[in-house]
Amino acid sequence: MTVTKSTVLAAGLAAALLGTGPAAAQQEPGLTPTSIKIGMFAPLSGANMAYGFDVANAAKMYYDKINKEGGIHGRKIEVVLEDDRCNANDLVAAVKKLVEQDQVFILNGGSCSAAVVAAKEYVVRNKVPLVMLNASGDGALYPPTDYIFGAFSISQYAVGGAMIDFAAKTLGAKKIAYVNHDDAYGAWNLEGAKADAEASKVDLAVESVNPTINDVTAPFLKLRAANPDALLIVTYARPAALMIKKAAEMGFNKPIILSVTGTANLSQLMQNVGGPDALKNFYFQDVLADLPGGPKIKWVYDMYKQSYPDLAAKPDHPQAYMPYGIPSAMSIVKALQAAGPNPTREKVLDAMKTLNFDSGVMAGPVVFGPSERAANKATIFIKFDGTNQTLQPGVYSSRWKFKG
Amino acid sequence: MRFLAIAVAAAVLIALPLVTTGYVVYLANLLLTFTVLCLGMHIVIGETGQFSLAHAAFYGIGIYAAGIAGTTFGTPFPVSILIGGLAASAIGFVIGMVALRMRDIYLALATFAFGEAMQWVFLNWNAVTGGPNGLRIAPARLFGLELVTDKDAYPFVVATAIAMLVLTVIVARARLGRSFRAVRESEIAAQAMGVPVRRTKVVAFGISAFFAGIAGGMFTLFSTYIHPDSLGFQTTILVLTMVVVGGLGSIGGAVGGAIAFGLISELLRQAPSFQEIAYGAILIVFMMYAPKGLFAFLADRFRGARHA
Repeated sequence: MTVTKSTVLAAGLAAALLGTGPAAAQQEPGLTPTSIKIGMFAPLSGANMAYGFDVANAAKMYYDKINKEGGIHGRKIEVVLEDDRCNANDLVAAVKKLVEQDQVFILNGGSCSAAVVAAKEYVVRNKVPLVMLNASGDGALYPPTDYIFGAFSISQYAVGGAMIDFAAKTLGAKKIAYVNHDDAYGAWNLEGAKADAEASKVDLAVESVNPTINDVTAPFLKLRAANPDALLIVTYARPAALMIKKAAEMGFNKPIILSVTGTANLSQLMQNVGGPDALKNFYFQDVLADLPGGPKIKWVYDMYKQSYPDLAAKPDHPQAYMPYGIPSAMSIVKALQAAGPNPTREKVLDAMKTLNFDSGVMAGPVVFGPSERAANKATIFIKFDGTNQTLQPGVYSSRWKFKG
Repeated sequence: MRFLAIAVAAAVLIALPLVTTGYVVYLANLLLTFTVLCLGMHIVIGETGQFSLAHAAFYGIGIYAAGIAGTTFGTPFPVSILIGGLAASAIGFVIGMVALRMRDIYLALATFAFGEAMQWVFLNWNAVTGGPNGLRIAPARLFGLELVTDKDAYPFVVATAIAMLVLTVIVARARLGRSFRAVRESEIAAQAMGVPVRRTKVVAFGISAFFAGIAGGMFTLFSTYIHPDSLGFQTTILVLTMVVVGGLGSIGGAVGGAIAFGLISELLRQAPSFQEIAYGAILIVFMMYAPKGLFAFLADRFRGARHA
C-alpha cells in the first residue's frame, strides 16, 4: 500500500513538474501558429475602477477589430484579463499569474502608477515586454529599461510642465498657485512644473496635499495669500472638487486649471463643486486629439458603442479615460506587425523602440526611441462652464528632460 | 485530528513549490507573511485585549529597516529580518508606554493616528524611504546565495513563518501568555492576582510590533519594491479582518483567517463584478453566524457531529 502511494505521489509530482515547464518546450511563451496571447491587467473593481475598466475595454475592442481584419500575420490575438485593484500586491500577483500560469507573450496593463512600478523588477528580470495601458508609470520609465513602455495617456512630468506652459502662454500668468499630491504623482508632476516655471520665468507657490484630504481650507488660504494669477490643481478628482468649491466660496475669481488626473467624471465634478457657478473661469487639461466625443475621435466612441452596447447604455459610460486604451493596443499591434511572421519578445521590443506614429486619438504622437519610454507628452486645454466645452487653441507640453 | 491537520499542512507546504507555478508560490509567500502579521495582531488584540490599529506602520518599519539593511549595508537576510523585527519592536515598546494611559476607543484612535503619522513619514522621508517614488529593495542574500525568484525565497519564508508560529505558541503557554489573557479579561483582577499590568501591556505591544517587523522582513525576501501606499490603514483593516474572520483570541484562528481570507481575496479577483458584494456578504455572514470566527465555528460543528 505504501509503495503504491509513493509511486502515485512520485508520478504526480513528476507530471506536475513536467506540466510546469512548457516554456522549456516552446521557444516563445504565448505564441502558437494561430494565436498570440496578450496578458492585460487593470483596476476592474473598487474605487479606482474609473481609471482602468473602460481603458481595458478600449484596448480589447481594438484587438477584436484586428482579429476581425485577419489578425497579425495570420495569428489571432487572445486576451487574458486580470483585475489589479490598483494595488501593488494585487498587481504583482496578476502579473505573475499572467506570465507564469497563463504564459502570455506580452503584457499590456497598468492604470495606476504607484502600483505598476511594483512590477518593474520582476518584468525586467524575466525579460517580459510590458506595455502599460494608461498609467503614467514614470517610476518604471525613468531610467529607461529595455522592457517597459508607458505614459500612453501622458507622463506626469509632462502633465505638470504643460499646465505651467498653458497658464503662462495663454493666460499670461506670472505667479502661479500649484496644488499637487504628496505622493509619487505629485513629486513627478512638480518636477516637470518647476522645469517649465523656470523656463517661463514664472513664480510658483506650491501646496502638496494628501489625496484623501477632507478639508482644503488651509492649503487654499496659503495659496491665495500668494496672490496668484492662476490656480493650477494637479490632483485626483476628490481633492480637486474640494479645492474648486473652496475657491468659489472664498470668491476667488482668477482662472482655475485642472489637470487630466482629476477629470475622470466631469458631471460628477460639477455636482461636487456645487454647480456651474464654481466653474465660471475654469479650464481642464486633456490628452485627447479633440474634445471627448469630438469629430476627430468620434470613431473611438462609435466603436465602443458597437462593441459594448449594454455598457454604453449605462450612465457615465464610456468612462472619461476610455480612449487612452487605443494607442497602447495600437503600439502592440504595430510592434507585432513589424516583428514579422516569426516574432520573438526581443524582436517586438526592438520594434517598440522605433515606434513613431499618430494614433489619431491623443493630442500628440506616440514616440519612443533608444532611451525614450514615455509615449505621449502633449496636452490640450478645454474651457468648461459646467455644460459647454470649448477647445482652446494649441497643444502644450513640458520642457522637462530626463537627465539620467 | 490535530496531527492529521499538521501533516496535511506540512505536505501542502512541501509539495507547493514542486507542483505549482511561481505565481502560486508568490501568493503562498504573501499569505505566510500576512499570517505572521495576523499572529502579531492576535497577541495584542486577541490575547491582551488592547485595541491597536497601527499594525501596517510596524509592518512598514520592518520592511524599510530590513530592506535598507540588506540593500545599503549588504547584511545577510536573517540579520536584515531581525533588524526589521527589532526596529519595529523598539517603536512598539514606545507606543506601548503611551498606550498605558489609554484604553478602548481612545487607544484605537491613538494607534490609528500613529499609523497615519508613520505613513506620512514613509511618504516624506525621501532620503531614507525613497518617499513617494517608493524604495527598491535588492534581492535578499546569504553567503553568496541570492533569492531572485519566489521559489528561491519560499523555503525561508516558510521557515520564518513556522518559527514565528512556534514562538506564538510558546508565548501563549508561558506565564507571559497567561498574563496577557488575565489583562484582557480584567485589569483589576489581573493586578489583584499579582500580574504587572503596565509591564504586560508594554510587552504585548512590543512583541506584537516585533511580529509585524519580522513580517516586513519576510516581505523583503520575495519582493523588491515597497511603496507607502501599501502601508496605509487599509492594510491594518485587512489584517484585523483576517484575525476576526479566523477567530479573535485563537492562534488557529489567526493563521486560518490569514490563509482563508487571503485565498478568498485572491479568488474574488477573478470575479471583479461581484467582489465588493461578496466581501460584504462574507463579513456579514461571519458576524451573524460565526462571531467567534471560522475555526471556532468549524470546531463546534465537528464536535456536534461527533456527539450526534
